[in-house]
Order: sequence, then C-alpha cells, then structure tokens
Amino acid sequence: MSQPSLLADSDQPVMPAVNYLNADRGVKSWLFTLDHKRIGVMYLVSVLLAFLLGGIFAMAIRLELTTPEPTLMGANTYNRMFTLHGVVMIFLFMIPAIPGVFGNFCLPLMLGAKDVAFPRLNLLSLYLYWTGATIALAGMIMGGTDTGWTFYAPYSTTTPMTVFPVLVGVFILGFSSIVTGLNFIVTVHTLRAPGIGWMRLQLFVWAIYGTSIIQVLATPVIGLTVMLAGIERVGGFGFFDATKGGDPVLFQHMFWFYSHPAVYIMVLPSMGVVSDAIAAFSRKNVFGYKMIAYSSLGIAFVGFFAWGHHMFVSGQSPFDNGAFAVISMFVGVFTAIKVFNWVATLYRGAIAISTPLIYICGFLFFIVFGGMTGIAVATVSLDVHWHDTYFVVAHFHFIMVGAVIMGFLIALHYWFPKMFGRMYHEGWGMVASAFIVLGFNATFIPQFLVGNAGMPRRYFMYPERFTALNVASTAGASLLAFGFIIILVYLIYALLRGKIAGDNPWNSRGYEWMTTSPPPKSNFHETPVITSDPHSYQNPGEEVEHVVI
Amino acid sequence: MSSSDAHAGHHNPNLAHHFDTIEKQDHAVRLGMWLFLGTEVLLFAGLFLGYTVYRHFYHDAFHHASRSLNITLGATNTVVLITSSLSVALAYYAVKVGKRQLALGMLAFTIVCACGFLVIKYVEYAHKFHVGSLPGKWFNDPSLAKYPGANLYFTVYFLTTGLHAFHVIVGMSVLLWVAKGVYKGRYTAEYYVPVELGALYWHLVDLVWIFLFPLLYLI
Amino acid sequence: MAHAGNEPTSKAESHAGTHGAGRYFVIWAILLAFTGITVWTGYMDLGSLNLPLAMTIASIKATLVILFFMHMTEAAGANRLVFSASFIFLFVMIIGVFGDLWTRNPMTLPSSAPSTEGPEIEVIEAHPGPAPSHH
Repeated sequence: MSQPSLLADSDQPVMPAVNYLNADRGVKSWLFTLDHKRIGVMYLVSVLLAFLLGGIFAMAIRLELTTPEPTLMGANTYNRMFTLHGVVMIFLFMIPAIPGVFGNFCLPLMLGAKDVAFPRLNLLSLYLYWTGATIALAGMIMGGTDTGWTFYAPYSTTTPMTVFPVLVGVFILGFSSIVTGLNFIVTVHTLRAPGIGWMRLQLFVWAIYGTSIIQVLATPVIGLTVMLAGIERVGGFGFFDATKGGDPVLFQHMFWFYSHPAVYIMVLPSMGVVSDAIAAFSRKNVFGYKMIAYSSLGIAFVGFFAWGHHMFVSGQSPFDNGAFAVISMFVGVFTAIKVFNWVATLYRGAIAISTPLIYICGFLFFIVFGGMTGIAVATVSLDVHWHDTYFVVAHFHFIMVGAVIMGFLIALHYWFPKMFGRMYHEGWGMVASAFIVLGFNATFIPQFLVGNAGMPRRYFMYPERFTALNVASTAGASLLAFGFIIILVYLIYALLRGKIAGDNPWNSRGYEWMTTSPPPKSNFHETPVITSDPHSYQNPGEEVEHVVI
Repeated sequence: MSSSDAHAGHHNPNLAHHFDTIEKQDHAVRLGMWLFLGTEVLLFAGLFLGYTVYRHFYHDAFHHASRSLNITLGATNTVVLITSSLSVALAYYAVKVGKRQLALGMLAFTIVCACGFLVIKYVEYAHKFHVGSLPGKWFNDPSLAKYPGANLYFTVYFLTTGLHAFHVIVGMSVLLWVAKGVYKGRYTAEYYVPVELGALYWHLVDLVWIFLFPLLYLI
Repeated sequence: MAHAGNEPTSKAESHAGTHGAGRYFVIWAILLAFTGITVWTGYMDLGSLNLPLAMTIASIKATLVILFFMHMTEAAGANRLVFSASFIFLFVMIIGVFGDLWTRNPMTLPSSAPSTEGPEIEVIEAHPGPAPSHH
C-alpha cells in the first residue's frame, strides 16, 4: 500500500553519511558520551524496557482480576504486583520518559544550541537513573515489597517485607530527575541562539521549562520523605509512628507535596509535545501561543498548592479539605485553556491524517475526560465515595495513559525521523493506533463504572457482581498490549529498513527540523539564523496551505 | 577581573565548547548553583515542617527539652559559623583581587571553623547519649519523662542537626577542593567562578544553622 | 524585541568585586550583634512572642547573609527568583500542613492523649510472620 507522505519536494531524500549515531563507534563512546542526543537515545531504550516491565505487571494484575476468586496468585503476590507496576511505571517511566528522551534530544536543537548547559551532569542523570532503577527493582523483586507505590506509613515503616532498598532507589532516581530539570532550566536561560527570544520559544520548550521547575523544587521533598521513612525503618525515630508520638498523616502530607506536582511533571511535557505537533499536522499557526506558554507555568505553579486532595479521607481537617478542593479545581483551568487553544488550532486547518494526528485526537478526548473526572474527584463530598475505588484508578489512568502515553507516542512518531533518519510505516502506525485507542477505552471506561459501583482498588478478590466489568477491562488491556507490541515491531523494523525520511518529512517549522535528520554530532553545521516563529505556517491574511497526500 | 574579551574566550581553557563566551558560561554556572541551593532549601523544608508539626503537638515537651540544651555551646557554634561565612567571603574576595596567599589562609580558616563546629556538635551529642536524650524509641531521659512527646523533640533535633552536619562535611570537602584549585593556580583573578560557587554552598550551610539555632535552643 | 538574552542580566555580575573587603566585616559584626540579641531575648520569657521574635531576628540575619555574603544584591534576576521561589514553597508546605493541624478536631491531636501516668500500654513489636502462602 502506498505510504502517505507529506514530503514537500519530490527529490529523493538522503540520509547524511555521518551523523551523531555513527560519528564515534564502540560501546565506550556511547556509555561515556557527552552528546545529549546519544543520552536521549539511551534514555529511550531504558524507559522502553521499563515500560515493558511495568506493562507485564499490569497484565498480571488484569489477568488476576479476570475472576472474583484468586486466579493466578495469592494475596501477597498480588500486592507485590501492583507495587511493582506502580513504582516501575511512575518512577522508571512516566517521570523520566519525555524529558529524558525528547527533552534531551530536542531541547538544544530547538534552541539552536550545541548541547545542554551541563553535558556531564546530563550523563550523570542517566547513570543515576540506571543506578536507582536497578536498586529499586532488585529490592522489590527479591524482597517482595507490597506497600504500593505510595509507601504509606506506618505500614511501610514497620512491615517485615523489604522496603529499604526501594526507598534508596527512589531517592537516587529523584536526584536524576533534579539534575535533568536543573540542566534544562539553565539551558533555556543561557543557550538560546540569536533570534530566539522568550516569546519565540517552541511550546515544547515552554512545557519542558515548566516541568523542570517542578522537578527542581518538588523532588527534594520526596527525597527527604523516603529518607525519613528509611530512617524510621532502621532507627525507630518515631517521626511517622503514632506509638512513639509521631503522625502518620505527616508522611502523607510530605509524600503528596511532591507526588501531586509529580503528575504535572508527567503530563506537562506531553502537552508540550501536542502543542508542537498539532500546528504541524493542521498546517496552521498555533492558536493562542502566549496562553499555552503561560498556562504551562501556571500549572507548574498552582500544582504545588493542591496536594491535599489525595488526603480527603485521611483525617485531614475539613478546612484543609475544602481549601485543597478549590485549588485543585483551579488547576483544571490551565488545562482547559490549552484544550481550547489546541482545538482552535485544528479548526479550519488542513489536517494531515497520520499516526501522530490520530494520537493527538485520542489525547484530546482522553485529557478532557480524564481532566473532568479529576474535577469530579476533587469534590470532597464525591471523593468520600470514590476514594480508593477503581473510579480514581480510571481517572488517573485516563491522564497517565490517555494523555501522557499518547503524548509519548506522538513524540515517538513525530520525532522518529528526526532521531533516526527513517520513516515508520504509516499503515501499520494507524493499525496500531486503532488497537491503542480502542483498547484504552475498553480497559478504563469499565473501571469508572466498577469503581463507582464500589469496587475498591488494590483488592485481588471482589464481589461476583463486578465480574463482567472486570473481564471487559482485561479484554481491553489485552488489546492495548497488542497495540504496543505492534508499535514496537514496526518501529524496530523502521529503524533497520525504514524508508529514508529526509531532513523534514513533516514540513514542520520547528527549529529542530532546520538541521539534517539524523543531526550531526554538533547539531548544526552552522549556527542557525532564526527569522521565523516555530509554530507559524501562514503570514497574517494568508490561507492555510494544503499539502497533497 | 574576569577576562571579558570575546576573542580571548576562544583560547580560554575553561570555556566549554557549547558556550559562546566565558561570560555566558559563568552566568549559566551561577544559575545552576542557585538552582541547586534552592533544592537544598526544599530538602531541609521537610524537616522544618516536622519541627513545626511536632512543636504544635507537644508544646510543653519542646519547651522543656529545649531547656536541656546548652545555649552557650549553641551560641558558640553560631558565632563559629558566622565567622566562617566571613572568612569564606574574604577568601572569594582575595581570589578575585589576586591575593593567593590570603585566599588560601582564609579557606584554611574556614575549614578550621567547620572542624570546630563539628567538635562542639560531637560534645553535645555525646552528652545527650549520656543522659538518654535520644530520638524516638531510644529516649530514656528521666528528667523529661513527664513530658509526652519529648522523645520527638530529640528526633527532630538529631535529624535536623544530623543532616546539617552532613552538609558541613560536604561543604568542607568542597572548600578543600576549591583550596586545591587555588593552590595549583587554576582559580585566579581571571577565573574564580568555582571559588564563588564553593563559597555560596558554605553560606547555605550557615543559613540553615541561623534558623536551626533559635528553633532548637531558644524556644 | 527578539534578542537572545543570554548575556548576564546584571553587568555587575562580571565586574563584581569593585567594592572592598570592609563591608564583609561590617556585616559580620551586625550578625554577631543580632546573635547576641537573640540569645539575650531567648532567656527572657515573653510567652507566645518568643518564637516569632526569634524567627524575625533569624530572618534578618539570613537576609544579610543572602544579600551581602552571597552577593544577591549583584546577582542576576533569574538567580534571585530561583532562590526566593524555594522559600516560597517552603512556606506553602508549612502553611498547608499547619492549616490541617490547626483546624483538626482537638481530640484527634496527640497532645490531647491521656497522660503518661495512665495504664501501661503494651506495644507489640512487628516480627516476620509466617511465609506467604503460594497459590
């Protein structure tokens, strides 16, 4: 089947003979590299492995929940499965993925820079990621950690199951995150090429900038929290232990002070990807550039004030409950601003049907649903019913998978030709996207229903009447998993034998497309001279350009 | 002062390839350092939060347990750290104006002050071990037993001063490394940003203690 | 105006050191004086004013260290913003949690627990349970 293409010219595209991938050879040249692009590729391999692992644990959970009785495993094993799934997905994939892979690869290119501000720190963040991930995984697998990814005291501080190595692993992973964020902030401030002022930054850069602020300011708190939990385990200092006068709810306050902004670390970069890609695929100026840019900062800022909405039924005072509820709803405004601007960008655009665009549409649908159910659970009186049920699970998976992972897939497909110089097969891309979008809906919409009906989360047995919805959810999860496997296969194929993409197969105006695909080791053969905005496809009064597909 | 000639930047051995000029690199490195100091503030923030919470719960216990601390030793430590802040600021000034000997002397003095701080801290800790003023489940000081929550005062005390002492040790190591650079002639009036950054870290250590001292000793 | 903005935003950053060392001694003396004041007032019993007073003095000392020892008076705007932001979020954390404690039902607070002269409560230490059953 002929591959749809957006090639602007009919010349045969060429891949540069020497680029960052083959400039230096040997394992050492990769493991000790200071090239942000190679670091991004190594992050890509690492996070994809983590995603595969987290996905396996997810399938274990879903398979267990196919029947109301124990199906494959006992209660303790089930607890370990959801702990593994949560920790691996959140700390090893969601937090590092888009910043570590695409932030690292694209940020300097988008700024016209030769590298990030501190290349050695960049490599350090990768090493810290590997170290923290290994320690955490070893602890969980060999020790049977069953606390859930939230490590609530007093269970986490008193259980005989292994927790300490996991806390150490999370601590180290936190440092990896801080270092990445610090690097990106300084890069954006100091390494912009002439012509790129703040109001010309690509929206992905704005999103990464907002994310990095959160990474730098919030992560130290989780570092301290897990450190205190670890000290509590070995030392009995009583910091979170009620029998010694401590307060376990304090753990929750400190934990969620990071972990709520953490969800914005996960979702903001994904929104940035969409902002960048959506203009390219509607061949239209992005609508409301300033609003989208500022709303990224708004989310970063206001997101810090909302953590108590995870603690509505933990014994927090009604006053704080109300305050956090109101603030949480306020944060939704910024996401809504973005959604309206994105839709306005698509409106009357020349939509280029392609795999990234399908994921963009999925993203828009899921972020609205996920966001609105977020406002719903932010309502204290409703959350009393929904807390710790599958309703909440469905809500956050709509955002985590529906928004963040869609964003990751958009980034992966949009920047695949940039990173590797080859194009994936669009047909298979669309087949996979169908499985992903449909499978996602089939997995998580039943979870809203079963959660509202009262099924608690983290339970491995449930009343008979929830069986049908659980079976539906597991069936959906299988479709979703199948979709990811298809993506893995055709992307690997494209890596080895894909059609040469040329420098700018999407005809995008982003600055990263101004160099060859794949880029040379030094990013640009000459320092780019920037004279246009990265999201503008028409001059005022000009018609939308229609590209023949 | 620092060489601001853009052409000289091409030959400046301290200039990394991805920065255009040494000024831009210095600006980037300073911003990075301030960001890092911001993370340190938020690291201690959780412990200050713990202090706030448990002082609210156990007001009496905190008051009486604080009385058991030696204000003289605490105040001495405060003076020692403030003086070390002065000396490290003078060291930075000395490097900037090219006075290598003075810089090394001031750095040495700062490190001596840091050691002095740790010695006094050790004396205080030893006393507490002796009388049983220990954190959490280890607490067994009879004179404070009638105040519920006194054990948590010492939890907060040991956690905050312990983390602070760890930072004192790290700060000392940083200053030793800076001193080595000054000694070897790597950091001079032409290029002194690493000295500036090391001094900034030391000032943060002082800052934390400025708040810890009244919170632990004077309430 | 689209310019790169990569230059240090404060010229003083690259020309710092035009002042002498004397000001450091002055600040040092002021810091010692405030330390003396805070110790002196620490011995006095001012009731609930003790802590706010001590914190005010500490804040003044901290401000002096930040502005003059750490040269924030000459620092670029971004650096000032970054450091100030960290303090702002420190306060956010404390205020948010304190809001919870202050407004909780007093009966839920540990300080309203029965006195330690009450009956002995035996605390059962956690010990490794039987091995988890394998299904």
